[in-house]
Amino acid sequence: MAVAAAAARVWRPSRGLGRAGLPLLRLLGARGLARSHTHRWQQQRHFSSLDDKPQFPGASAEFIDKLEFIQPNVISGIPIYRVMDRQGQIINPSEDPHLPQEKVLKFYKSMTLLNTMDRILYESQRQGRISFYMTNYGEEGTHVGSAAALDDTDLVFGQYREAGVLMYRDYPLELFMAQCYGNVSDLGKGRQMPVHYGCRERHFVTISSPLATQIPQAVGAAYAAKRANANRVVICYFGEGAASEGDAHAGFNFAATLECPIIFFCRNNGYAISTPTSEQYRGDGIAARGPGYGILSIRVDGNDVFAVYNATKEARRRAVAENQPFLIEAMTYRIGHHSTSDDSSAYRSVDEVNYWDKQDHPISRLRHHLQSRGWWDDEQEKAWRKQSRKKVMEAFEQAERKLKPNPNLIFSDVYQEMPAQLRKQQESLARHLQTYGEHYPLDHFEKQVPPNTLRSQAVLEACSARLLHWAGSLVSPFSTLSYTVFSQGLGEGTSGTGHP
Amino acid sequence: MAAVAASAGWLLRLRAAGADGPWRRLCGAGLPRGFLQSASAYGAAAQRRQVAHFTFQPDPEPVEYGQTQKMNLFQAVTSALDNSLAKDPTAVIFGEDVAFGGVFRCTVGLRDKYGKDRVFNTPLCEQGIVGFGIGIAVTGATAIAEIQFADYIFPAFDQIVNEAAKYRYRSGDLFNCGSLTIRSPWGCVGHGALYHSQSPEAFFAHCPGIKVVVPRSPFQAKGLLLSCIEDKNPCIFFEPKILYRAAVEQVPVEPYNIPLSQAEVIREGSDVTLVAWGTQVHVIREVAAMAQEKLGVSCEVIDLRTILPWDVDTVCKSVIKTGRLLVSHEAPLTGGFASEISSTVQIPHISNVI
Repeated sequence: MAVAAAAARVWRPSRGLGRAGLPLLRLLGARGLARSHTHRWQQQRHFSSLDDKPQFPGASAEFIDKLEFIQPNVISGIPIYRVMDRQGQIINPSEDPHLPQEKVLKFYKSMTLLNTMDRILYESQRQGRISFYMTNYGEEGTHVGSAAALDDTDLVFGQYREAGVLMYRDYPLELFMAQCYGNVSDLGKGRQMPVHYGCRERHFVTISSPLATQIPQAVGAAYAAKRANANRVVICYFGEGAASEGDAHAGFNFAATLECPIIFFCRNNGYAISTPTSEQYRGDGIAARGPGYGILSIRVDGNDVFAVYNATKEARRRAVAENQPFLIEAMTYRIGHHSTSDDSSAYRSVDEVNYWDKQDHPISRLRHHLQSRGWWDDEQEKAWRKQSRKKVMEAFEQAERKLKPNPNLIFSDVYQEMPAQLRKQQESLARHLQTYGEHYPLDHFEKQVPPNTLRSQAVLEACSARLLHWAGSLVSPFSTLSYTVFSQGLGEGTSGTGHP
Repeated sequence: MAAVAASAGWLLRLRAAGADGPWRRLCGAGLPRGFLQSASAYGAAAQRRQVAHFTFQPDPEPVEYGQTQKMNLFQAVTSALDNSLAKDPTAVIFGEDVAFGGVFRCTVGLRDKYGKDRVFNTPLCEQGIVGFGIGIAVTGATAIAEIQFADYIFPAFDQIVNEAAKYRYRSGDLFNCGSLTIRSPWGCVGHGALYHSQSPEAFFAHCPGIKVVVPRSPFQAKGLLLSCIEDKNPCIFFEPKILYRAAVEQVPVEPYNIPLSQAEVIREGSDVTLVAWGTQVHVIREVAAMAQEKLGVSCEVIDLRTILPWDVDTVCKSVIKTGRLLVSHEAPLTGGFASEISSTVQIPHISNVI
């Protein structure tokens, strides 16, 4: 009966009904409910009146007879793990990850190439070439240190300021640019705002604008990985602002209760657009929330690429081995504006920004470290700056020249198959453009293919790349199938990556 | 809300709930005598609990799907879930209270049969349930999420509309969550009031990228739910809660599919087209019979079944034939799904409506 059903939602099973409770529930027809209640009753600890310990199922704790509120400790919060000092010197040699030169140079080149690309694309927005951009200034260490500690096939859910993870995974410059320009080479088919990257081949789930929505999704993906015995971890990036969202709370709680192999990586960069952390939370940051959910947590110096690497590496090892979540709060600073729509001089001082740019920057700290090891010098720096700038400019110029995608793509992929109503709308647009096409910049768009030939052989051949990655989409991200066939299918020039 | 939208509202007949029986049983359970007196003891002034009346009209036993068994709607749902978990090793079922069998008993026995990693409780958080389900589906595994009442689906609205519905489109088909199905009890039950009675299909109908399905009976429920689970798009499956026990018919034991986005003409007629979904289909069937008997009006009755994407062709074809349309649904009138149907049908090049 629905009465019992409603009762189940409102009451806790029969505790408040005393001895009559169990027979009462049976009579109401909630047999399933009554049966489980019996089961739990049998499972409960044996009660003894001599036993003064707390028996509450909700917490395992001792009694206390002194009234005392627990004081949250925000003056002396969770300490910040670091490996290098601000000058790039290893502080405690036992924490040095002893990475080979080649790998550390890859860290450096990924971070600097990202920085170069950021400068050029930010400028291109200022010049009206792309509509929008978000830079990663100051946070390159959080991206590269964490990405380097993962397996290539670990699934990444990001927020929007993690382009360095893709850069480290050798996502080609042309594809970064393609997405920002929304041109025909964009894997996302030109549908989203710039910086909403995604790459199936590199296990980087497409970025979406709503904040923190990726957090419970990442937990679900981790649960599936656990069930599949995939030996993979899922990493989920978000900012300290997004951590205020309900989805963050949901994700943490689900990950802990469902025992998921996931790394929650919070980039605490001091600002959520204009909102400083003092207006975002009143507790000891994000790391202090982890224990509240039963999650192992750590706070690290996000501008120390080795600290980020070490923490992520250990979290990964244990998350997979023990099927439990880890929370890493990487303290850093957002040197750039929130986006090209923001001018941060309206809410913070230039001095504050300059401090981080000049005194505590992940790139310069690593460079000092490299130089002290004799792995890098000024001459190589000069040459690399020139080379990376050249790579970026080449990709940029190519991206500029390409057409935008076919307008028919407005209607596809809404569903896997196009429903009749959408097909009618697509045909309606086609007719409209036939009559009024002169009012639209159709020259900038890939020539419109009539809707009913979209599945024709000619178009299939032209779109072989799209077919290949459609076929790839049938396979789980956790399969071991290689997707390199996809990048060859694109056939759009070289994939300059800045890879040493 | 428990309001019935259509002009057919006057057809609801009220009937006493037979108050004596339950009270007597309660008294026999050991409660002090006289504590609860039978309602009739107070005389004619006593208000008897009144329930809305409709008669569930079972469809004829299906013959083309093999052996059938008498099932009510929640048992048909259990059967569909059982078939799904048996066939698809990646499939998992989760939500609040699903482990012990669910507050409506839709998942009884499944945890014992398939294991606690496949049928499990989540914390009490609808946005988490749907977000978690999306994540499972992104990896290619089948996620069957339960939202305990459709009235509580709103915390998950962002995940459904901004994420699930747009996953494939925004990624250029690199990623999708097509293997996600969300099931939720839906609609009036009589005493549910504001928060155990809602029919929120109209909110979701405005969201391209998801499918929304409402069955009218156990046989329809199993076939449609299986289709939703196997569909390569995220689906919301609303289960009329008043039918969980009230609707009983013969349902095939083996899995079978009823296609989505296909409305069903369940009674042919010539004078007026009546469209409904879920519980209201049975009210409308009764209306059609009464109209024939009392007014000599021949009604064509259509069960829409899928709200999004809905079967425009079947409805329009019927309206072209009859020239008149009446749509009847629970849920508020303003902005209800009837407005979408009636406005589409009136687009000139589609039909000739009087």
